Amino acid sequence: MRLAQLLKSASFRLTAAYVGLFSVSVGILAGLIYFLATSGMQSEVRTRIAAESTALREEYAGGGAPRLLQAIAERQRGRLIGGLDYTLYNANGRHLFGNLPVVSCKSGWVTFTGPPDGDEPEGELEELGVLVTPLADGNCLLVGDDIGKVRKFGSLILRSFGWVFLLTATMAVAGGIFLSTRVFRRIEAINRTAEAIIEGDISRRIPRRGVPDDLDQLAATLNRMLDRMTSLMESLRHVSNDVAHDLRTPLGRLRRSLEEAGRTVSSPEESRAAIDSAVTEVDGILDTFGAILRIAQIESGSRRSNFCRLVLSELVTDVCETFAPSVEEAGMVLQTRIQPDLAIRGDRELLVQSLANLLENAIAHTPVGTVVTVSLKGLSDSVELCVADNGPGVPEAQREQIFKRFYRVERSRTATGNGLGLSIVAAVAELHAAKLSASDNGPGLKIAMLFSEAA
Amino acid sequence: MNILLVEDEVDLAAYIVRGLTENGHHVDHAARGDSGFLLASEGRHDLLIVDRMLPEMDGLTLVKALREGQSKLPVLFLSNLGGLDDRVEGLNSGGDDYLSKPFAFSELLARVNALLRRPHISGEPTSIRLGDLEMDLIKRSVTRAGREIDLQPREFSLLEYLMRRPDQVVTRTMLLEGVWDYHFDPKTNIVETHISRLRSKIGSDLIQTVRGSGYMIRAARTAP
Repeated sequence: MRLAQLLKSASFRLTAAYVGLFSVSVGILAGLIYFLATSGMQSEVRTRIAAESTALREEYAGGGAPRLLQAIAERQRGRLIGGLDYTLYNANGRHLFGNLPVVSCKSGWVTFTGPPDGDEPEGELEELGVLVTPLADGNCLLVGDDIGKVRKFGSLILRSFGWVFLLTATMAVAGGIFLSTRVFRRIEAINRTAEAIIEGDISRRIPRRGVPDDLDQLAATLNRMLDRMTSLMESLRHVSNDVAHDLRTPLGRLRRSLEEAGRTVSSPEESRAAIDSAVTEVDGILDTFGAILRIAQIESGSRRSNFCRLVLSELVTDVCETFAPSVEEAGMVLQTRIQPDLAIRGDRELLVQSLANLLENAIAHTPVGTVVTVSLKGLSDSVELCVADNGPGVPEAQREQIFKRFYRVERSRTATGNGLGLSIVAAVAELHAAKLSASDNGPGLKIAMLFSEAA
Repeated sequence: MNILLVEDEVDLAAYIVRGLTENGHHVDHAARGDSGFLLASEGRHDLLIVDRMLPEMDGLTLVKALREGQSKLPVLFLSNLGGLDDRVEGLNSGGDDYLSKPFAFSELLARVNALLRRPHISGEPTSIRLGDLEMDLIKRSVTRAGREIDLQPREFSLLEYLMRRPDQVVTRTMLLEGVWDYHFDPKTNIVETHISRLRSKIGSDLIQTVRGSGYMIRAARTAP
């Protein structure tokens, strides 16, 4: 993996942004602490100097210069490290005590740099903050203290923060690169798999690490999606094969009969008959196409917007009445057990066609004398529509297959129909979120549609 | 009758023009929606046959525009779409009938004739009489030669549909749509079985089978 690629990766950018944010906040924190600490120390030093100056001015007011000098001397005797510098000079600028330089004697703060007193770094001068206090008789009192230590403390704070920051930032960047590399590798694996699939290797799947993290879950989801797509493609391929096969047969038949007619037909009656049979054959093919298109349209789900409340009981009764004469004519018996006033939300036209297909299926594939029973009953929170017969039934292994496009049970291959009737039923059931099942009616076949939502 | 055909498929248009001309109609043909609209606006046609998909101006727009101009010209839509919703759209836009391609010519002819006759059966008669067969649309009863015939509601609707179109060929699909409101093609012979039941009740001489096309009820029966 190239570094440039890594630096462009989303996870590394995220880390970089995080480090940036962290730096800014550390900077602000350091500044704040520096400011608070140094200003606190400075005001503490000044308070001490000011208090000392006030006390000494009172000594002077009480007993003049001698008393003041005595007080200073007492303070000098008790001098500890960090003690104050004192200087007193008269109006002529002559020093009575101490060695701070002479300034114009106006009350206020001045800053001196003086010779080192031993606690400064090599080659640096002492820095003094001095309070000038004018006294009576033109004498001038200077009280000062080393303020360089405040600055030194401040820079110590900044240096410490600097080191801590440097260390942390280095670790963050290193950690970022490390983590980015890992994430990057896994994303690369997904990428490579996708590329391979684009290239045509549809069986490729994203490798998983077996830890239940988000990337692994993503990989699992993508793999599942790929499985689903593969199976859809497979079924699509299957359907187009079936379409081709199912249309080749009647087209072949048509071609043969036309060829034969061209060779043998002599009278107008014969040619009329040949043409009629060709038209019938073509109508069958057109029917098949119509059914394929209809299934596709139902599966697209656009019809769902036309759903409205409909009384299924009336619809079923109506269709059964319509088909009863045909069932009887086929030598079968149609029984109905329809519970009244059951309603669902759905598409009238499609439900009528589904029930018609189920009835036609029963008529076409069962022998004379079969009893076909249509029942509609309300369950606790669903409505079940059932078409059952006591004919030969369908072997268990094939029962789920009968809803597939172009599937035909072996013995019914010769019967009329295009093998799409039950596929339309399945598509309509799916559109209505109804559960469609085929089961043994002992004997016979029982097909049930379970509509989950009563309206 | 003057029929205007707006259809861009050349072969199909020639086939329709030939067929309708053979059946005694005069047909004007336009291959584009906009030119079809101009011709239809002239108001000298008795029927418009229009394809849903046309260059320049599609069939729906054409018919809507015609209806906005207060034209009462009967309209038969032809459609390649054959979809479930397309028929409703076509009828809502102001079409009077809808036929999906591909169709048998006899189907088209039956529908054309039905539409051309439409004005004569409009209005709401209270009874229809054909020879000695009389249908009371209010009491919903049927008598033949004064003798009451007991019909089921569906049989009554079927007979009514036929009696409202005397001397017209009515196809199986027209009956499925008009009587049952079924817009798919059942494989079962439900129309045939219902017609045969109806015949057994009202007498087998009234409803004629027109070979390859459909059924017809005669207004003035020839003497037996």
